[in-house]
Amino acid sequence: MILDADSFLEKCIYSPEGLRADGRRWNELRQFKCQINTHANSSDGSSYVEQGYSKVVCIVNGPKEPDGRSHTFLDKACISVEVNIASFSTVDRKKVVRNNKRVQELNTTIQRTLEEAVLSHLYPRTQIDISIQVLQQDGGLLPTCVNAATLALIDAGIPMVDYVSACSAGIYDTTPLLDLNTMEENDLAFLTVGVIGKSDSLALLMMETRMSMDNLEPVMAIAIAGSHSIRDIMDREVRRHGKQRLAKKGNM
Amino acid sequence: MGVISITVPQGARAEVANEEDLIYEDADSDSDVEMREFNDNEEENIGGSLYVANDLVTPGELVTEETVWMRGHGTYTTVNDKTYSSVAGTITKVNKLLSVTPIRGRYSPEIGDHIVGRITEVGQKRWKVDIGAKQDAVLMLGSINLPGGILRRKSESDELQMRQFLKEGDLLNAEVQALFSDGAASLHTRSLRYGKLRNGYFLSIPASLVIRQKNHVYRLPGNVDLILGVNGYVWLSKRTSTGPSGADNVTITRLEEEAGLEIYSDKNEEIPGSIREAIARYSNCIRALVYKEVGINESRLITAYEASLVYENAGELVDNEVKDAIAAEVIAES
Amino acid sequence: MAVGKSISLNESQFILRALRESKRLDGRSFSEPREVDLSFGDEFGHAQVKLGQTWVVAKISAEVVKPREDRPFEGGFTINTDISSMASPLFENNRQSDDEVIMSRMIEKAIRRSNSLDLESLCIVAGKKVWNIRADVHVLNYDGGLVDAICIAVIAGLLHFRKPDVSVDGEEVSFHSFEDRNPVPLSILHMPICSTFSFFQVDQSEDANDSNNLPERLDPQVVLVDANAQELILSGGDMTITVNKNRDVCQMLKSGGLRVEAYTILNCVNIAYEFAVKTTKLINDKLKEDHAKRNVGNIDQLLSAENDR
Repeated sequence: MILDADSFLEKCIYSPEGLRADGRRWNELRQFKCQINTHANSSDGSSYVEQGYSKVVCIVNGPKEPDGRSHTFLDKACISVEVNIASFSTVDRKKVVRNNKRVQELNTTIQRTLEEAVLSHLYPRTQIDISIQVLQQDGGLLPTCVNAATLALIDAGIPMVDYVSACSAGIYDTTPLLDLNTMEENDLAFLTVGVIGKSDSLALLMMETRMSMDNLEPVMAIAIAGSHSIRDIMDREVRRHGKQRLAKKGNM
Repeated sequence: MGVISITVPQGARAEVANEEDLIYEDADSDSDVEMREFNDNEEENIGGSLYVANDLVTPGELVTEETVWMRGHGTYTTVNDKTYSSVAGTITKVNKLLSVTPIRGRYSPEIGDHIVGRITEVGQKRWKVDIGAKQDAVLMLGSINLPGGILRRKSESDELQMRQFLKEGDLLNAEVQALFSDGAASLHTRSLRYGKLRNGYFLSIPASLVIRQKNHVYRLPGNVDLILGVNGYVWLSKRTSTGPSGADNVTITRLEEEAGLEIYSDKNEEIPGSIREAIARYSNCIRALVYKEVGINESRLITAYEASLVYENAGELVDNEVKDAIAAEVIAES
Repeated sequence: MAVGKSISLNESQFILRALRESKRLDGRSFSEPREVDLSFGDEFGHAQVKLGQTWVVAKISAEVVKPREDRPFEGGFTINTDISSMASPLFENNRQSDDEVIMSRMIEKAIRRSNSLDLESLCIVAGKKVWNIRADVHVLNYDGGLVDAICIAVIAGLLHFRKPDVSVDGEEVSFHSFEDRNPVPLSILHMPICSTFSFFQVDQSEDANDSNNLPERLDPQVVLVDANAQELILSGGDMTITVNKNRDVCQMLKSGGLRVEAYTILNCVNIAYEFAVKTTKLINDKLKEDHAKRNVGNIDQLLSAENDR
């Protein structure tokens, strides 16, 4: 038996007219706002990213002298990621335990994704600290964190192969939907991809819900295309900030 | 709905087929026009020499396809032998060396830099010094002046009493003597100009705002000495009789006399209120210039100091509007 | 999952050179998983899996507990994985490395979050009494493919497990011993099977002095299925895909590591599917075999209360 409320919700997710609950079409990203160099005095690199209502601040410190032996590699820099989820970031205010396995997995996943892009072999015996503060969550936590970390690393002047951009996509019936919010994430099967630059190759792929094998291809394709668009928006912000900086350099 | 599919990639950089029919809400669409122009440029220039010096590039951007360039910092290459940028910054060309200088980044030491640092660790025959770079610098026991003259051999007892010369947290000024293969610096303080710092006030500013010059020690009006470390660490202190710039013409014999144990003394001299006020005023002037991201040198700082005298109390300079006014005056002056 | 770096330079060069020549040290082809050796213990819910040298034991147990307040109709299901230094010196006792956290999360997602066990069927009295199923996994030896082996062991264990029959009379709940009544199997909705893929960058020019070699924008040329421990240490990244035989992908994780073309990943999914179909059949065959062994003399029939109905 399908409850009325359920069928109402079903309709909301993707209407026959091809609109989602928040008025987007299937291949539309949420509003993506980003800023770099937000915390210039307290860090080497910083950024702020908004993907719809998901809001994240990222701070990068380093490369710097490592904290002890366990953070020292002789052949490359040690990248450490710490995601901190504010307890007010979701509707139901609950305390997120710091050593929660989910957060630990998030840390490791972001760290390994970035390691693939950062040219860390250029800075042996150093440490790069990335700390991410999640202010508000509305779906796409992992992609927002990855995007913010990329921008902050670029702001810190750390060499990278290319931008790392990530985006999620889900499937509704047979229609792939790009960049899900919490409501959609709760109801649909979805995955997250992270690409480096404008390529088709994935550094990050994460799927936690059941999805039919046959839907995989369209969903992945749209998520990759979404990541490429995000890369472009981020690139524009970096250039905007760069130009502003260069203009100021006239004062030197 | 467009047809979405993943196909076998053609070449290393395959584009997604349906990228055009992707819509996104633009955060600031006014910058869009600029972007386009830029992209057009890129298209036209491929194959030739792409950029002139000082053009802005971002990570992953193709800098040149030519193989004649030597690839410097901030660039990388792939199997296809093209040069890509790895940081967001400006292109620098020196002869055949092509590098990209990041807009922001930590101080990277160069031989001969006059820097201010802080001891972080006392180790075997060496000190570790935080100089705001990617790694701590090393100061060898053999690279400092020991009490009793420069020509003395380092004995085992010196090794044991290293903490009496310099201990964790002590500030010093020094010169970069050499660089290790991984980019870390080795320092020396073998001149009376260098050594432990006291009688003053420490301030840290972005290294990029310090303009590299021949001399980084200034005697400023108001009986204040300034050491403007190339690494962005700044030391403001009361002028001493053997003031920093006065030490230039010290002969070796004089040095022997001078290099008593007092050069490693921790005791501050009495500093009169007027000098304290001047030091505070200078530090706030520096902060004002940093606030507006104006490069700092001696003449600009003096201009800023003079402009700040309008405000009776040095504390007034923390106001952002006042900072603006002072910085504006400095820019107008130079 | 490079769990540690304990391989000599000679060995690593040897293995990589072999891969470049399309050979694996154990003679398998690149897309060939190791044979799964599954066996059951005397007790219900005791399954043992050997995947090459990897050796995993799972034991399922059940107890009656009070359900969670927000889910009065659902039973509980917990998976405990014990990876001690007995399995391999790469693992430390009492300390979970990043890899172990990711591994246990992956198992959790593959089996628990994909709803392979029907939790509502575990309800005895709504809001009062439900079954709590617990899977204890012990890793006895480690040689790669850990998630794959653990997943098979847990699923096989769940299918093999029998819980005592329960009859409810109003508020009264009585449990029947195995002798009284035939024990009941759990209701398993689908069988997720994991496959791990490892990616290698084996470039022709890649020889000893790679410090000057900048990362390349090429796809890794080699994708290995079910790599062993040595291969895992050398791999540039790996990915675990969980599929069932209904063509559902239950879980996928590639946390960083070498970049891989989307096209290659889709191929991997197909390989994972084939492995899932094969393994599902193997588990079912083994279960039947085991059941036949236990059922000597048709005790099942004798004990069944539903005999004549």
